[in-house]
Amino acid sequence: MNEILLSSEVIVYLLSEAVLYLLLFIAAIATLGILKGWNFDRFTKRQFDLENRSYLVMSIIFFVLGLKMLLLPYFAYTIDALSLLVPGAMCAAGVIDANDYGSPLLLLKIIILFLSGLWLGINRLDLEEKHYPYMKLKSWFYLLLFVLLSVEMVLDILYFSHIETTNPVSCCSVIFGEIGGNSLPFGLDIPKLLILFYLLYALLVLMLFTGHYLVRIAASLFFAMIAYYSVVYFFGTYIYELPTHRCPFCMLQAEYHYVGYLLWGVLFSGTFLAIESAVMEGIFGRDALKLKKISIGLLTLFVLLCSSYVGLYYLKNGVLL
Amino acid sequence: MIRIEDVGKRFGEGENLFEALKSITLEVEEGECVILSGISGSGKSTLLSLIAALDRPSSGKIVVEGELVSKLPDLHASAYRAKTIGVIFQHFNLIESLSVEENVIVPLINSGLDMPAIRKMAEQSMQRASILHKASQDVASLSGGEKQRCAIARALVHDPKVILCDEPTANLDRENSLRFIETIQKLHQAGKTIVVATHDPLFEALPFESRVIHMADGMIGKHGE
Repeated sequence: MNEILLSSEVIVYLLSEAVLYLLLFIAAIATLGILKGWNFDRFTKRQFDLENRSYLVMSIIFFVLGLKMLLLPYFAYTIDALSLLVPGAMCAAGVIDANDYGSPLLLLKIIILFLSGLWLGINRLDLEEKHYPYMKLKSWFYLLLFVLLSVEMVLDILYFSHIETTNPVSCCSVIFGEIGGNSLPFGLDIPKLLILFYLLYALLVLMLFTGHYLVRIAASLFFAMIAYYSVVYFFGTYIYELPTHRCPFCMLQAEYHYVGYLLWGVLFSGTFLAIESAVMEGIFGRDALKLKKISIGLLTLFVLLCSSYVGLYYLKNGVLL
Repeated sequence: MIRIEDVGKRFGEGENLFEALKSITLEVEEGECVILSGISGSGKSTLLSLIAALDRPSSGKIVVEGELVSKLPDLHASAYRAKTIGVIFQHFNLIESLSVEENVIVPLINSGLDMPAIRKMAEQSMQRASILHKASQDVASLSGGEKQRCAIARALVHDPKVILCDEPTANLDRENSLRFIETIQKLHQAGKTIVVATHDPLFEALPFESRVIHMADGMIGKHGE
């Protein structure tokens, strides 16, 4: 067995994932049974049993998905810790690209995070009602989610079991550096990227109160993408105080006071709540003012955090990078 | 109004299966007083707990004041009890470390009312149950009859439409039992719907209009006015 699989972080991570997956697997089997026999209008013993079982099953899913959300930052911490074992890796960027499974796994984890959040939102709506109106919807949604969770489990195992500790890997200086020319999307340069970043933020805040829900979802996702590039290619260089250091992962390290967890956490949460508020209003016809307020608060905090690094650097040094 | 349709309640499975209620159908009109009588294990208390949404039936329908309570999720069951139901338990279920007034206030904690309004409601309820003079006294130091009156005050504090009493006189002497019946009579006159589960013969011939329903083996036996 290789060093990676024997490292304590990976053991804890994979064991936690395996235990949670087992619970999710049991919940998926039970969900199939619920879907098969569910008819709220019946007053039979079978229906009462299904209602009791659904309460237990949905509680299990609720807690496991909540724990899975907490496991994402731990995954980031784990791959960051592995950079000590992988030659050439200085941070998680090198470790995540140590094989072909890393990047798809990270992307899948982010997609699952957003979908899990949506499931939790629908579950909350269902619990607020007296007659389980969204039981079938949330059950089917969970089964779809479970397919993705199964792929994630397989990718987790493939990824960690295929990280070589003998082959050197490329890390952030190469992956996100100047080599290979401009890596920004849509032919953007840094000034245009920043204009787009601030413009999209203002537009998103405005649209939360006026826009069609599909446009809001699209705008939220677009903002998240532009925000990612803005952090990696501009704001991050001020966090590292090095114009050539472009990496989304190094900021997760103690050297930078773990600010990456806060930055990415606030961005993901704010974006997710913007999407959830759109879904709640557009699809379920619910009032989502509270969600929108929290979303605006988080996104504003994100923008201020990013901007503050530039401002503080300028105040300290009198120049920009 | 309470409407119970074909309600069954089973505990356990296989060889351990026990049917506490077997296909119970019953209607209690608004303002009516119904006495469920029968020996221990006949299903009276189980039926009360289903009406109070403290438990869910295994089958059948229970509708109280237009609310389908047999399928209420936990969150809504609590709200239903807080709004519609007052329960008086055999063992009172009071919090011994609190005073009488504090015990009476407990059901109003999540009501959203301000404290002066809550205190006023508690005072009125204690007055109604003749326990106001012991308001500041710890429940642990009360006699059985006083505890019963405290439990009544607590059950009435939110002015519920339906009052459920589970073996209310089992721990009382004859004098206190008669006082309890007087209280029930006043509540009946005030238009409350009352269901009492008891095997106390005092309830077989109440001094006010009531309906006695005999239960045995989880089924309704003979009816009597």
